[in-house]
Amino acid sequence: MKKICKQTLAALCLLGPFLLGTGQAEEQKPRTIAELVAKYDSSSCVDCHMNEYEQWHKSLHARSIFGPLEVGRTAATFITTIENGLKEWPYSGVNDPEDVGVKHLMVCAKCHLPQLQDAEDSVAKEIVQNLYAFAEDPYDEEIRDTLLSLNINCLVCHNRNAITHKWTDGYPDPKTVYGSKSGAHEDPLYPTMQESKIMGESILCGQCHGLGPNFELDNPTQCATLYGSHLFAYIPDGGTQTCQECHMRRSGLGHDMQAYRSPEMVKMALDIDVEANAFQWRDVNTMTPVANVLVEITNKAGHAIPDG
Amino acid sequence: MALYVTAKTLDGQVFYTNEKIYMPIPQQLGRGQKMGRGPYEKSGLIHDSALPPRKTTKESFMIPVYTESEEHGKTIRTQIAQDFTVNVEIWYLPYGKKDDPGNAQKWFAVTKNMHLPADQK
Repeated sequence: MKKICKQTLAALCLLGPFLLGTGQAEEQKPRTIAELVAKYDSSSCVDCHMNEYEQWHKSLHARSIFGPLEVGRTAATFITTIENGLKEWPYSGVNDPEDVGVKHLMVCAKCHLPQLQDAEDSVAKEIVQNLYAFAEDPYDEEIRDTLLSLNINCLVCHNRNAITHKWTDGYPDPKTVYGSKSGAHEDPLYPTMQESKIMGESILCGQCHGLGPNFELDNPTQCATLYGSHLFAYIPDGGTQTCQECHMRRSGLGHDMQAYRSPEMVKMALDIDVEANAFQWRDVNTMTPVANVLVEITNKAGHAIPDG
Repeated sequence: MALYVTAKTLDGQVFYTNEKIYMPIPQQLGRGQKMGRGPYEKSGLIHDSALPPRKTTKESFMIPVYTESEEHGKTIRTQIAQDFTVNVEIWYLPYGKKDDPGNAQKWFAVTKNMHLPADQK
Protein backbone atom coordinates (compact mmCIF):
# COMPACT_ATOMS: atom_id res chain seq x y z
CA MET A 1 0.00 0.00 0.00
CA LYS A 2 2.78 2.35 0.98
CA LYS A 3 4.56 1.53 -2.29
CA ILE A 4 1.44 2.24 -4.35
CA CYS A 5 0.93 5.57 -2.58
CA LYS A 6 4.53 6.55 -3.27
CA GLN A 7 4.15 5.65 -6.96
CA THR A 8 0.87 7.52 -7.22
CA LEU A 9 2.35 10.55 -5.53
CA ALA A 10 5.34 10.49 -7.86
CA ALA A 11 3.05 10.33 -10.87
CA LEU A 12 0.91 13.16 -9.54
CA CYS A 13 4.01 15.27 -8.95
CA LEU A 14 5.03 14.77 -12.57
CA LEU A 15 1.59 15.31 -14.05
CA GLY A 16 0.33 17.83 -11.51
CA PRO A 17 0.96 21.01 -13.46
CA PHE A 18 -0.72 19.51 -16.53
CA LEU A 19 -3.95 18.27 -14.98
CA LEU A 20 -7.22 20.11 -15.18
CA GLY A 21 -10.11 19.60 -12.84
CA THR A 22 -11.89 17.79 -15.67
CA GLY A 23 -9.07 15.27 -15.91
CA GLN A 24 -7.94 16.68 -19.24
CA ALA A 25 -4.29 17.35 -19.94
CA GLU A 26 -3.39 21.01 -20.14
CA GLU A 27 -0.32 22.88 -21.19
CA GLN A 28 1.44 24.94 -18.57
CA LYS A 29 -0.24 28.31 -18.08
CA PRO A 30 1.34 31.21 -19.94
CA ARG A 31 3.56 33.30 -17.69
CA THR A 32 4.20 36.24 -20.01
CA ILE A 33 2.21 38.23 -22.55
CA ALA A 34 4.37 36.68 -25.26
CA GLU A 35 3.48 33.18 -24.07
CA LEU A 36 -0.22 34.00 -23.92
CA VAL A 37 -0.10 35.49 -27.40
CA ALA A 38 1.77 32.41 -28.63
CA LYS A 39 -0.79 30.09 -27.08
CA TYR A 40 -3.56 31.84 -28.99
CA ASP A 41 -1.49 32.53 -32.08
CA SER A 42 -3.85 32.65 -35.06
CA SER A 43 -1.27 33.68 -37.62
CA SER A 44 -1.43 30.34 -39.42
CA CYS A 45 -5.14 30.97 -40.15
CA VAL A 46 -4.24 33.87 -42.43
CA ASP A 47 -2.72 31.62 -45.10
CA CYS A 48 -6.11 30.23 -46.09
CA HIS A 49 -8.55 32.71 -44.56
CA MET A 50 -7.12 36.01 -45.75
CA ASN A 51 -10.51 37.67 -46.33
CA GLU A 52 -11.75 36.78 -42.88
CA TYR A 53 -8.47 37.95 -41.36
CA GLU A 54 -8.60 41.28 -43.16
CA GLN A 55 -12.21 41.78 -42.11
CA TRP A 56 -11.41 40.86 -38.51
CA HIS A 57 -8.41 43.18 -38.47
CA LYS A 58 -10.72 46.17 -38.99
CA SER A 59 -12.93 45.16 -36.09
CA LEU A 60 -12.67 46.08 -32.42
CA HIS A 61 -12.18 42.37 -31.71
CA ALA A 62 -8.69 42.91 -33.13
CA ARG A 63 -7.94 45.54 -30.49
CA SER A 64 -10.11 44.38 -27.65
CA ILE A 65 -8.04 45.69 -24.75
CA PHE A 66 -6.83 48.74 -26.64
CA GLY A 67 -9.99 50.09 -28.20
CA PRO A 68 -10.30 52.29 -31.28
CA LEU A 69 -6.87 52.97 -32.75
CA GLU A 70 -7.20 56.74 -32.59
CA VAL A 71 -8.03 56.89 -28.91
CA GLY A 72 -7.22 53.64 -27.08
CA ARG A 73 -10.25 54.22 -24.94
CA THR A 74 -10.56 50.64 -23.73
CA ALA A 75 -7.00 50.67 -22.39
CA ALA A 76 -7.83 53.87 -20.55
CA THR A 77 -10.91 52.24 -19.03
CA PHE A 78 -8.82 49.34 -17.73
CA ILE A 79 -6.78 51.90 -15.81
CA THR A 80 -9.90 53.65 -14.52
CA THR A 81 -11.10 50.27 -13.31
CA ILE A 82 -7.91 49.81 -11.32
CA GLU A 83 -7.71 53.37 -10.00
CA ASN A 84 -11.38 54.07 -9.27
CA GLY A 85 -12.51 50.53 -8.67
CA LEU A 86 -10.00 47.95 -7.49
CA LYS A 87 -7.87 50.38 -5.45
CA GLU A 88 -10.92 51.94 -3.82
CA TRP A 89 -12.64 48.71 -2.83
CA PRO A 90 -11.45 47.72 0.66
CA TYR A 91 -11.61 43.97 0.13
CA SER A 92 -10.20 43.72 -3.40
CA GLY A 93 -6.65 43.14 -2.16
CA VAL A 94 -5.40 45.82 -4.55
CA ASN A 95 -3.60 48.77 -3.03
CA ASP A 96 -1.30 49.40 -5.97
CA PRO A 97 -1.40 48.44 -9.63
CA GLU A 98 1.32 45.87 -8.87
CA ASP A 99 -1.21 43.95 -6.77
CA VAL A 100 -3.48 43.29 -9.76
CA GLY A 101 -3.73 39.61 -10.68
CA VAL A 102 -5.78 37.64 -13.16
CA LYS A 103 -8.88 37.54 -10.94
CA HIS A 104 -8.86 41.33 -10.69
CA LEU A 105 -8.31 41.96 -14.35
CA MET A 106 -11.06 39.50 -15.27
CA VAL A 107 -13.62 42.16 -14.34
CA CYS A 108 -12.75 43.57 -17.77
CA ALA A 109 -10.97 40.63 -19.35
CA LYS A 110 -13.92 38.28 -19.03
CA CYS A 111 -14.94 39.75 -22.37
CA HIS A 112 -12.04 41.90 -23.51
CA LEU A 113 -9.49 39.10 -23.14
CA PRO A 114 -11.17 35.89 -21.95
CA GLN A 115 -8.04 33.81 -22.54
CA LEU A 116 -6.40 35.70 -19.66
CA GLN A 117 -8.32 33.29 -17.42
CA ASP A 118 -5.90 30.61 -18.63
CA ALA A 119 -2.76 32.59 -17.69
CA GLU A 120 -0.64 33.14 -14.60
CA ASP A 121 -0.91 36.32 -12.53
CA SER A 122 2.42 37.44 -14.00
CA VAL A 123 0.62 38.03 -17.32
CA ALA A 124 -1.97 40.25 -15.65
CA LYS A 125 0.83 42.21 -14.01
CA GLU A 126 2.65 42.63 -17.32
CA ILE A 127 -0.56 43.83 -18.97
CA VAL A 128 -1.08 46.36 -16.18
CA GLN A 129 2.50 47.61 -16.58
CA ASN A 130 1.89 48.12 -20.27
CA LEU A 131 -1.46 49.84 -19.70
CA TYR A 132 0.14 52.39 -17.37
CA ALA A 133 3.10 52.81 -19.69
CA PHE A 134 0.67 53.51 -22.53
CA ALA A 135 -1.07 56.13 -20.39
CA GLU A 136 2.33 57.75 -19.78
CA ASP A 137 3.32 57.67 -23.43
CA PRO A 138 0.47 56.96 -25.86
CA TYR A 139 2.86 57.27 -28.81
CA ASP A 140 5.20 54.45 -27.75
CA GLU A 141 4.78 52.03 -30.64
CA GLU A 142 6.21 49.06 -28.76
CA ILE A 143 3.73 49.38 -25.90
CA ARG A 144 0.89 49.98 -28.32
CA ASP A 145 1.85 46.87 -30.30
CA THR A 146 2.06 44.81 -27.11
CA LEU A 147 -1.46 45.83 -26.11
CA LEU A 148 -2.72 45.26 -29.65
CA SER A 149 -1.24 41.76 -29.65
CA LEU A 150 -3.82 40.79 -27.04
CA ASN A 151 -7.20 40.44 -28.68
CA ILE A 152 -10.24 38.37 -29.52
CA ASN A 153 -8.80 36.45 -32.42
CA CYS A 154 -9.75 33.37 -34.47
CA LEU A 155 -8.98 30.92 -31.67
CA VAL A 156 -11.05 32.69 -29.05
CA CYS A 157 -14.31 32.29 -30.97
CA HIS A 158 -13.42 29.22 -33.04
CA ASN A 159 -11.86 27.27 -30.21
CA ARG A 160 -11.86 28.55 -26.64
CA ASN A 161 -15.38 30.00 -26.59
CA ALA A 162 -16.84 27.80 -29.34
CA ILE A 163 -18.53 25.45 -26.90
CA THR A 164 -20.83 26.80 -24.22
CA HIS A 165 -22.36 23.48 -23.12
CA LYS A 166 -19.27 21.47 -22.32
CA TRP A 167 -20.98 18.62 -20.51
CA THR A 168 -23.13 18.14 -23.61
CA ASP A 169 -20.66 18.81 -26.41
CA GLY A 170 -17.32 18.26 -24.72
CA TYR A 171 -14.49 20.62 -23.92
CA PRO A 172 -12.72 22.50 -26.73
CA ASP A 173 -9.93 20.38 -28.13
CA PRO A 174 -6.74 22.43 -28.46
CA LYS A 175 -6.01 20.96 -31.89
CA THR A 176 -9.47 21.58 -33.35
CA VAL A 177 -11.08 24.61 -34.88
CA TYR A 178 -14.83 24.86 -34.58
CA GLY A 179 -16.89 26.27 -37.42
CA SER A 180 -19.53 25.33 -39.93
CA LYS A 181 -18.33 21.85 -40.88
CA SER A 182 -16.39 18.82 -39.68
CA GLY A 183 -13.42 17.09 -41.23
CA ALA A 184 -9.72 17.43 -41.80
CA HIS A 185 -8.21 20.88 -41.56
CA GLU A 186 -5.09 21.80 -43.49
CA ASP A 187 -3.16 23.23 -40.60
CA PRO A 188 -0.63 21.10 -38.71
CA LEU A 189 -1.35 23.02 -35.52
CA TYR A 190 -5.10 22.49 -35.83
CA PRO A 191 -5.52 19.38 -37.99
CA THR A 192 -9.20 18.90 -37.22
CA MET A 193 -12.27 21.00 -37.78
CA GLN A 194 -15.53 20.29 -36.12
CA GLU A 195 -18.96 21.69 -36.67
CA SER A 196 -19.85 23.99 -33.81
CA LYS A 197 -23.38 23.71 -32.52
CA ILE A 198 -23.47 27.41 -31.68
CA MET A 199 -21.22 29.18 -34.22
CA GLY A 200 -24.29 30.67 -35.91
CA GLU A 201 -26.27 31.17 -32.72
CA SER A 202 -26.64 34.33 -30.67
CA ILE A 203 -25.47 32.53 -27.55
CA LEU A 204 -21.94 32.46 -28.94
CA CYS A 205 -21.88 36.27 -28.91
CA GLY A 206 -23.92 36.39 -25.71
CA GLN A 207 -20.98 35.01 -23.77
CA CYS A 208 -19.54 38.50 -23.87
CA HIS A 209 -22.21 40.83 -25.18
CA GLY A 210 -23.94 40.40 -21.96
CA LEU A 211 -26.95 39.71 -19.83
CA GLY A 212 -26.24 42.30 -17.16
CA PRO A 213 -24.21 41.94 -13.96
CA ASN A 214 -21.55 39.23 -14.23
CA PHE A 215 -22.41 37.37 -11.06
CA GLU A 216 -19.58 34.88 -11.34
CA LEU A 217 -17.17 37.67 -10.38
CA ASP A 218 -16.46 38.48 -6.74
CA ASN A 219 -17.44 42.07 -7.55
CA PRO A 220 -19.90 41.89 -10.45
CA THR A 221 -19.36 44.27 -13.34
CA GLN A 222 -21.68 45.22 -16.17
CA CYS A 223 -20.57 46.38 -19.53
CA ALA A 224 -22.77 45.04 -22.29
CA THR A 225 -26.42 44.13 -21.79
CA LEU A 226 -27.21 43.43 -25.43
CA TYR A 227 -27.80 39.73 -25.15
CA GLY A 228 -30.23 40.31 -22.29
CA SER A 229 -32.15 42.80 -24.39
CA HIS A 230 -32.08 40.37 -27.32
CA LEU A 231 -33.49 37.57 -25.15
CA PHE A 232 -36.00 39.47 -23.09
CA ALA A 233 -37.20 42.27 -25.39
CA TYR A 234 -36.44 41.40 -29.02
CA ILE A 235 -37.38 37.72 -29.00
CA PRO A 236 -40.63 38.17 -27.00
CA ASP A 237 -41.70 40.81 -29.53
CA GLY A 238 -41.35 38.32 -32.37
CA GLY A 239 -37.75 38.98 -33.43
CA THR A 240 -36.10 36.07 -35.19
CA GLN A 241 -32.66 37.24 -36.32
CA THR A 242 -29.40 36.16 -34.72
CA CYS A 243 -26.48 38.46 -33.95
CA GLN A 244 -24.52 36.87 -36.80
CA GLU A 245 -27.38 37.34 -39.28
CA CYS A 246 -27.31 41.14 -38.94
CA HIS A 247 -23.73 41.89 -37.89
CA MET A 248 -22.03 39.49 -40.31
CA ARG A 249 -24.30 38.39 -43.16
CA ARG A 250 -26.86 41.09 -43.91
CA SER A 251 -24.36 43.86 -43.25
CA GLY A 252 -21.88 42.21 -45.58
CA LEU A 253 -19.20 42.94 -42.99
CA GLY A 254 -18.39 39.31 -42.28
CA HIS A 255 -15.74 39.06 -39.59
CA ASP A 256 -15.51 42.84 -39.39
CA MET A 257 -18.25 42.76 -36.81
CA GLN A 258 -19.18 46.35 -36.18
CA ALA A 259 -21.70 48.29 -34.19
CA TYR A 260 -22.24 52.01 -33.72
CA ARG A 261 -19.18 53.12 -35.67
CA SER A 262 -20.37 51.47 -38.85
CA PRO A 263 -22.62 53.34 -41.31
CA GLU A 264 -23.87 49.96 -42.57
CA MET A 265 -25.01 48.95 -39.10
CA VAL A 266 -26.60 52.32 -38.37
CA LYS A 267 -28.56 52.12 -41.60
CA MET A 268 -29.76 48.65 -40.71
CA ALA A 269 -30.56 49.58 -37.13
CA LEU A 270 -32.72 52.67 -37.40
CA ASP A 271 -35.44 54.14 -39.57
CA ILE A 272 -35.73 57.85 -38.89
CA ASP A 273 -38.50 60.07 -40.15
CA VAL A 274 -38.76 63.79 -39.50
CA GLU A 275 -41.79 65.92 -40.31
CA ALA A 276 -41.98 69.62 -39.58
CA ASN A 277 -44.47 72.36 -40.27
CA ALA A 278 -44.89 75.95 -39.18
CA PHE A 279 -48.16 77.69 -38.50
CA GLN A 280 -49.87 80.57 -36.73
CA TRP A 281 -51.85 79.29 -33.81
CA ARG A 282 -54.55 81.78 -33.01
CA ASP A 283 -56.29 82.30 -29.70
CA VAL A 284 -58.86 85.05 -30.41
CA ASN A 285 -56.54 87.95 -31.26
CA THR A 286 -53.32 86.44 -30.00
CA MET A 287 -51.23 84.88 -32.73
CA THR A 288 -48.74 82.21 -31.74
CA PRO A 289 -46.21 81.47 -34.46
CA VAL A 290 -44.88 77.97 -33.89
CA ALA A 291 -43.20 75.10 -35.66
CA ASN A 292 -44.10 71.55 -34.83
CA VAL A 293 -41.45 68.90 -35.36
CA LEU A 294 -42.25 65.21 -35.22
CA VAL A 295 -39.43 62.68 -35.08
CA GLU A 296 -40.08 58.96 -35.39
CA ILE A 297 -37.24 56.56 -34.71
CA THR A 298 -37.80 52.88 -35.32
CA ASN A 299 -35.29 50.49 -33.81
CA LYS A 300 -34.89 47.60 -36.24
CA ALA A 301 -31.99 46.04 -34.35
CA GLY A 302 -32.19 42.83 -32.37
CA HIS A 303 -31.58 44.68 -29.10
CA ALA A 304 -32.09 48.02 -27.42
CA ILE A 305 -30.03 51.01 -28.59
CA PRO A 306 -27.91 51.83 -26.77
CA ASP A 307 -27.16 49.16 -24.18
CA GLY A 308 -25.02 49.32 -21.10
CA MET B 1 -27.75 58.34 -27.82
CA ALA B 2 -29.15 61.84 -28.15
CA LEU B 3 -31.65 63.60 -30.37
CA TYR B 4 -31.03 67.30 -30.88
CA VAL B 5 -33.49 69.79 -32.34
CA THR B 6 -32.27 73.28 -33.16
CA ALA B 7 -34.12 76.16 -34.81
CA LYS B 8 -32.17 78.99 -36.41
CA THR B 9 -32.92 82.15 -38.30
CA LEU B 10 -31.55 82.32 -41.82
CA ASP B 11 -28.59 84.34 -40.57
CA GLY B 12 -27.68 81.54 -38.13
CA GLN B 13 -29.13 82.87 -34.87
CA VAL B 14 -30.26 79.97 -32.69
CA PHE B 15 -33.61 80.63 -31.06
CA TYR B 16 -34.57 77.13 -29.92
CA THR B 17 -32.73 74.02 -28.79
CA ASN B 18 -33.98 70.83 -27.22
CA GLU B 19 -32.65 67.35 -26.72
CA LYS B 20 -33.76 63.88 -25.75
CA ILE B 21 -31.42 61.34 -24.21
CA TYR B 22 -31.80 57.62 -24.87
CA MET B 23 -29.78 55.39 -22.57
CA PRO B 24 -29.97 52.84 -19.85
CA ILE B 25 -29.02 54.34 -16.50
CA PRO B 26 -27.04 51.65 -14.71
CA GLN B 27 -27.26 51.29 -10.98
CA GLN B 28 -24.06 51.86 -9.03
CA LEU B 29 -22.92 48.55 -7.54
CA GLY B 30 -26.45 47.15 -7.61
CA ARG B 31 -27.80 49.37 -4.85
CA GLY B 32 -29.59 52.66 -4.31
CA GLN B 33 -30.61 55.38 -6.74
CA LYS B 34 -27.21 56.52 -7.95
CA MET B 35 -25.92 55.85 -11.43
CA GLY B 36 -22.74 53.91 -11.92
CA ARG B 37 -20.68 55.15 -14.84
CA GLY B 38 -17.66 52.92 -15.30
CA PRO B 39 -18.29 49.28 -16.22
CA TYR B 40 -16.55 48.26 -13.00
CA GLU B 41 -19.25 49.92 -10.88
CA LYS B 42 -22.30 49.27 -13.05
CA SER B 43 -24.70 46.54 -11.92
CA GLY B 44 -28.40 46.66 -12.63
CA LEU B 45 -30.52 49.49 -13.98
CA ILE B 46 -32.40 52.30 -12.25
CA HIS B 47 -33.98 53.71 -15.39
CA ASP B 48 -33.90 52.96 -19.09
CA SER B 49 -34.79 55.33 -21.90
CA ALA B 50 -32.93 53.37 -24.60
CA LEU B 51 -34.82 52.66 -27.80
CA PRO B 52 -36.46 49.25 -27.40
CA PRO B 53 -36.10 46.78 -30.27
CA ARG B 54 -38.86 46.51 -32.86
CA LYS B 55 -40.56 49.66 -31.57
CA THR B 56 -41.07 53.15 -32.93
CA THR B 57 -40.30 55.98 -30.56
CA LYS B 58 -42.10 59.24 -31.37
CA GLU B 59 -41.00 62.66 -30.20
CA SER B 60 -42.82 65.92 -30.72
CA PHE B 61 -41.35 69.39 -30.35
CA MET B 62 -43.41 72.56 -30.42
CA ILE B 63 -41.04 75.40 -31.24
CA PRO B 64 -42.15 78.92 -30.30
CA VAL B 65 -41.12 81.28 -33.08
CA TYR B 66 -41.64 84.43 -31.05
CA THR B 67 -40.33 86.41 -28.14
CA GLU B 68 -42.49 87.94 -25.46
CA SER B 69 -42.12 91.26 -23.73
CA GLU B 70 -44.21 93.48 -21.50
CA GLU B 71 -45.35 96.89 -22.68
CA HIS B 72 -47.75 99.02 -20.61
CA GLY B 73 -48.89 95.92 -18.77
CA LYS B 74 -49.59 94.07 -21.97
CA THR B 75 -47.79 91.04 -23.30
CA ILE B 76 -46.36 91.74 -26.71
CA ARG B 77 -45.35 88.92 -28.96
CA THR B 78 -42.80 89.47 -31.66
CA GLN B 79 -42.35 86.90 -34.38
CA ILE B 80 -38.68 85.95 -34.68
CA ALA B 81 -38.64 85.14 -38.35
CA GLN B 82 -40.90 84.25 -41.20
CA ASP B 83 -38.33 81.93 -42.72
CA PHE B 84 -36.07 79.78 -40.60
CA THR B 85 -34.56 76.30 -40.42
CA VAL B 86 -35.05 73.39 -38.10
CA ASN B 87 -32.12 71.02 -37.73
CA VAL B 88 -32.58 67.51 -36.33
CA GLU B 89 -29.56 65.41 -35.42
CA ILE B 90 -29.10 62.03 -33.80
CA TRP B 91 -25.76 61.26 -32.18
CA TYR B 92 -24.35 58.16 -30.60
CA LEU B 93 -22.30 59.37 -27.67
CA PRO B 94 -20.65 56.46 -25.87
CA TYR B 95 -19.00 58.82 -23.41
CA GLY B 96 -21.76 61.40 -23.30
CA LYS B 97 -20.22 64.23 -25.31
CA LYS B 98 -20.07 65.29 -28.94
CA ASP B 99 -16.52 66.58 -28.70
CA ASP B 100 -15.02 63.14 -28.52
CA PRO B 101 -13.20 62.27 -31.76
CA GLY B 102 -13.12 58.58 -32.57
CA ASN B 103 -15.96 57.80 -30.22
CA ALA B 104 -18.89 60.19 -30.80
CA GLN B 105 -20.77 59.39 -34.00
CA LYS B 106 -23.25 61.57 -35.85
CA TRP B 107 -25.84 59.08 -37.08
CA PHE B 108 -28.39 61.32 -38.68
CA ALA B 109 -28.89 64.94 -39.63
CA VAL B 110 -31.57 66.74 -41.57
CA THR B 111 -32.38 70.40 -42.03
CA LYS B 112 -35.92 71.49 -42.79
CA ASN B 113 -36.61 74.89 -44.33
CA MET B 114 -39.60 76.44 -42.61
CA HIS B 115 -41.94 79.24 -43.65
CA LEU B 116 -44.54 80.91 -41.48
CA PRO B 117 -47.52 82.75 -42.88
CA ALA B 118 -47.46 86.46 -42.14
CA ASP B 119 -48.83 87.53 -38.77
CA GLN B 120 -52.11 89.00 -40.07
CA LYS B 121 -54.87 89.48 -37.56
